[in-house]
Amino acid sequence: MKNRVRPLRTERGLAQGQLAEAMGVSRQTINSIENNRYTPSLPLAIALARYFGVTVEEMFDDQGT
Amino acid sequence: MIKERSEAMMRSRWFMPAFCLGLGLVVLAASWIGGHPLAGLFSLGVMAAFGLFFLLAVGNETVRGLTVGRDERFAQIDLRATAVAGLVLIITLIVAWLTEIAQGHSGNPYTWLGATGGLAYLLAVAFFRWRG
Repeated sequence: MKNRVRPLRTERGLAQGQLAEAMGVSRQTINSIENNRYTPSLPLAIALARYFGVTVEEMFDDQGT
Repeated sequence: MIKERSEAMMRSRWFMPAFCLGLGLVVLAASWIGGHPLAGLFSLGVMAAFGLFFLLAVGNETVRGLTVGRDERFAQIDLRATAVAGLVLIITLIVAWLTEIAQGHSGNPYTWLGATGGLAYLLAVAFFRWRG
Protein backbone atom coordinates (compact mmCIF):
# COMPACT_ATOMS: atom_id res chain seq x y z
CA MET A 1 0.00 0.00 0.00
CA LYS A 2 1.45 3.35 -1.07
CA ASN A 3 1.73 6.09 1.49
CA ARG A 4 2.97 9.64 2.05
CA VAL A 5 4.95 9.02 5.23
CA ARG A 6 8.35 9.86 3.72
CA PRO A 7 7.37 13.23 2.15
CA LEU A 8 5.48 14.27 5.27
CA ARG A 9 8.44 13.32 7.46
CA THR A 10 11.04 15.06 5.32
CA GLU A 11 8.84 18.17 5.04
CA ARG A 12 9.13 18.46 8.80
CA GLY A 13 12.85 17.76 8.80
CA LEU A 14 12.50 14.61 10.86
CA ALA A 15 14.87 11.64 10.76
CA GLN A 16 13.41 8.15 10.60
CA GLY A 17 14.69 7.49 14.11
CA GLN A 18 12.92 10.57 15.49
CA LEU A 19 9.60 9.56 13.94
CA ALA A 20 10.12 5.99 15.14
CA GLU A 21 10.68 7.23 18.69
CA ALA A 22 7.57 9.41 18.53
CA MET A 23 5.50 6.43 17.31
CA GLY A 24 7.05 3.93 19.72
CA VAL A 25 8.32 1.65 16.95
CA SER A 26 11.73 0.79 15.52
CA ARG A 27 13.50 2.80 12.81
CA GLN A 28 13.39 -0.30 10.58
CA THR A 29 9.59 -0.30 10.83
CA ILE A 30 9.35 3.33 9.66
CA ASN A 31 11.76 2.53 6.84
CA SER A 32 9.68 -0.49 5.79
CA ILE A 33 6.47 1.57 5.82
CA GLU A 34 8.08 4.31 3.72
CA ASN A 35 9.27 1.73 1.18
CA ASN A 36 5.81 0.10 1.02
CA ARG A 37 7.19 -3.17 2.34
CA TYR A 38 5.09 -3.14 5.50
CA THR A 39 1.49 -2.06 5.97
CA PRO A 40 1.09 -0.72 9.50
CA SER A 41 -1.68 -1.77 11.86
CA LEU A 42 -4.75 0.46 12.13
CA PRO A 43 -3.62 1.96 15.49
CA LEU A 44 -0.20 2.85 14.04
CA ALA A 45 -1.75 4.23 10.84
CA ILE A 46 -4.06 6.45 12.90
CA ALA A 47 -1.17 7.54 15.15
CA LEU A 48 0.92 8.49 12.10
CA ALA A 49 -1.98 10.43 10.54
CA ARG A 50 -2.65 12.27 13.80
CA TYR A 51 1.03 13.05 14.22
CA PHE A 52 1.19 14.72 10.81
CA GLY A 53 -2.26 16.31 11.09
CA VAL A 54 -3.77 14.54 8.09
CA THR A 55 -6.44 11.88 7.68
CA VAL A 56 -5.59 8.22 7.25
CA GLU A 57 -7.00 8.37 3.71
CA GLU A 58 -4.70 11.28 2.88
CA MET A 59 -1.72 9.37 4.19
CA PHE A 60 -2.41 5.88 2.80
CA ASP A 61 -3.57 5.02 -0.71
CA ASP A 62 -5.34 1.68 -0.93
CA GLN A 63 -5.60 2.02 -4.72
CA GLY A 64 -1.84 1.77 -5.04
CA THR A 65 0.24 -1.40 -4.82
CA MET B 1 -1.37 -6.74 35.33
CA ILE B 2 0.33 -10.14 35.06
CA LYS B 3 0.52 -9.76 31.28
CA GLU B 4 2.09 -6.30 31.61
CA ARG B 5 4.63 -7.58 34.13
CA SER B 6 5.56 -10.58 32.00
CA GLU B 7 5.90 -8.35 28.92
CA ALA B 8 8.09 -5.92 30.87
CA MET B 9 10.24 -8.82 32.07
CA MET B 10 10.64 -10.16 28.53
CA ARG B 11 11.61 -6.70 27.30
CA SER B 12 14.47 -6.56 29.77
CA ARG B 13 17.89 -6.83 28.13
CA TRP B 14 18.73 -9.52 30.68
CA PHE B 15 15.81 -11.83 29.83
CA MET B 16 17.30 -13.69 26.84
CA PRO B 17 20.80 -14.07 28.37
CA ALA B 18 19.23 -15.35 31.63
CA PHE B 19 16.92 -17.68 29.69
CA CYS B 20 19.85 -19.12 27.71
CA LEU B 21 21.93 -19.59 30.85
CA GLY B 22 19.00 -21.15 32.71
CA LEU B 23 18.31 -23.58 29.86
CA GLY B 24 22.02 -24.44 29.74
CA LEU B 25 21.98 -25.25 33.46
CA VAL B 26 18.89 -27.46 33.05
CA VAL B 27 20.62 -29.34 30.19
CA LEU B 28 23.74 -29.69 32.36
CA ALA B 29 21.65 -31.14 35.21
CA ALA B 30 19.84 -33.55 32.86
CA SER B 31 23.12 -34.66 31.24
CA TRP B 32 24.74 -35.09 34.65
CA ILE B 33 21.85 -37.28 35.83
CA GLY B 34 22.13 -39.26 32.58
CA GLY B 35 25.83 -39.87 33.22
CA HIS B 36 27.22 -37.46 30.61
CA PRO B 37 28.48 -34.45 32.59
CA LEU B 38 30.99 -33.40 29.91
CA ALA B 39 28.29 -33.23 27.24
CA GLY B 40 26.26 -31.17 29.70
CA LEU B 41 29.14 -28.77 30.29
CA PHE B 42 29.58 -28.40 26.53
CA SER B 43 25.85 -27.61 26.15
CA LEU B 44 26.08 -25.08 28.98
CA GLY B 45 29.00 -23.42 27.19
CA VAL B 46 27.04 -23.22 23.93
CA MET B 47 23.98 -21.77 25.67
CA ALA B 48 26.14 -19.30 27.63
CA ALA B 49 27.68 -18.17 24.33
CA PHE B 50 24.18 -17.61 22.93
CA GLY B 51 23.31 -15.61 26.03
CA LEU B 52 26.44 -13.51 25.66
CA PHE B 53 25.58 -12.90 22.00
CA PHE B 54 22.13 -11.57 22.93
CA LEU B 55 23.67 -9.39 25.63
CA LEU B 56 26.31 -7.88 23.35
CA ALA B 57 24.21 -7.67 20.18
CA VAL B 58 21.39 -5.72 21.82
CA GLY B 59 22.61 -2.64 19.94
CA ASN B 60 21.83 -4.35 16.62
CA GLU B 61 18.43 -3.16 15.35
CA THR B 62 17.19 -6.63 14.38
CA VAL B 63 18.27 -8.30 17.63
CA ARG B 64 16.83 -5.35 19.53
CA GLY B 65 13.56 -5.62 17.57
CA LEU B 66 13.21 -9.31 18.36
CA THR B 67 14.04 -8.88 22.05
CA VAL B 68 13.93 -5.65 24.08
CA GLY B 69 12.60 -3.26 21.42
CA ARG B 70 9.78 -5.32 19.95
CA ASP B 71 7.18 -3.44 17.95
CA GLU B 72 4.24 -4.58 15.79
CA ARG B 73 6.38 -5.33 12.72
CA PHE B 74 8.86 -7.43 14.67
CA ALA B 75 5.96 -9.18 16.44
CA GLN B 76 4.63 -10.09 12.97
CA ILE B 77 8.08 -11.23 11.82
CA ASP B 78 8.41 -13.36 14.96
CA LEU B 79 4.97 -14.90 14.38
CA ARG B 80 5.71 -15.73 10.75
CA ALA B 81 9.15 -17.15 11.57
CA THR B 82 7.58 -19.30 14.30
CA ALA B 83 4.96 -20.54 11.80
CA VAL B 84 7.67 -21.45 9.27
CA ALA B 85 9.69 -23.25 11.96
CA GLY B 86 6.53 -25.09 13.05
CA LEU B 87 5.77 -26.13 9.48
CA VAL B 88 9.31 -27.45 8.97
CA LEU B 89 9.02 -29.36 12.27
CA ILE B 90 5.67 -30.89 11.27
CA ILE B 91 6.98 -31.98 7.86
CA THR B 92 10.08 -33.49 9.53
CA LEU B 93 7.85 -35.32 12.02
CA ILE B 94 5.62 -36.74 9.29
CA VAL B 95 8.61 -37.90 7.22
CA ALA B 96 10.25 -39.49 10.28
CA TRP B 97 6.96 -41.14 11.27
CA LEU B 98 6.41 -42.59 7.79
CA THR B 99 10.03 -43.82 7.68
CA GLU B 100 9.58 -45.58 11.03
CA ILE B 101 6.33 -47.21 9.89
CA ALA B 102 7.88 -48.29 6.58
CA GLN B 103 10.68 -49.99 8.53
CA GLY B 104 8.11 -52.04 10.41
CA HIS B 105 8.34 -50.08 13.67
CA SER B 106 5.50 -48.61 15.70
CA GLY B 107 6.21 -45.05 14.63
CA ASN B 108 6.89 -43.89 18.16
CA PRO B 109 7.80 -41.38 19.46
CA TYR B 110 6.80 -39.52 16.28
CA THR B 111 3.19 -40.71 16.56
CA TRP B 112 2.73 -39.02 19.93
CA LEU B 113 4.68 -35.93 18.94
CA GLY B 114 2.56 -35.52 15.81
CA ALA B 115 -0.66 -36.11 17.75
CA THR B 116 0.41 -33.53 20.36
CA GLY B 117 1.14 -30.99 17.64
CA GLY B 118 -2.17 -31.63 15.89
CA LEU B 119 -4.14 -31.40 19.14
CA ALA B 120 -2.33 -28.21 20.14
CA TYR B 121 -3.24 -26.67 16.77
CA LEU B 122 -6.92 -27.60 17.10
CA LEU B 123 -7.10 -26.24 20.66
CA ALA B 124 -5.37 -23.02 19.58
CA VAL B 125 -7.84 -22.55 16.70
CA ALA B 126 -10.77 -23.13 19.08
CA PHE B 127 -9.33 -20.71 21.64
CA PHE B 128 -8.62 -17.89 19.18
CA ARG B 129 -12.00 -18.41 17.51
CA TRP B 130 -13.71 -18.09 20.90
CA ARG B 131 -11.60 -15.08 21.82
CA GLY B 132 -12.64 -13.38 18.59
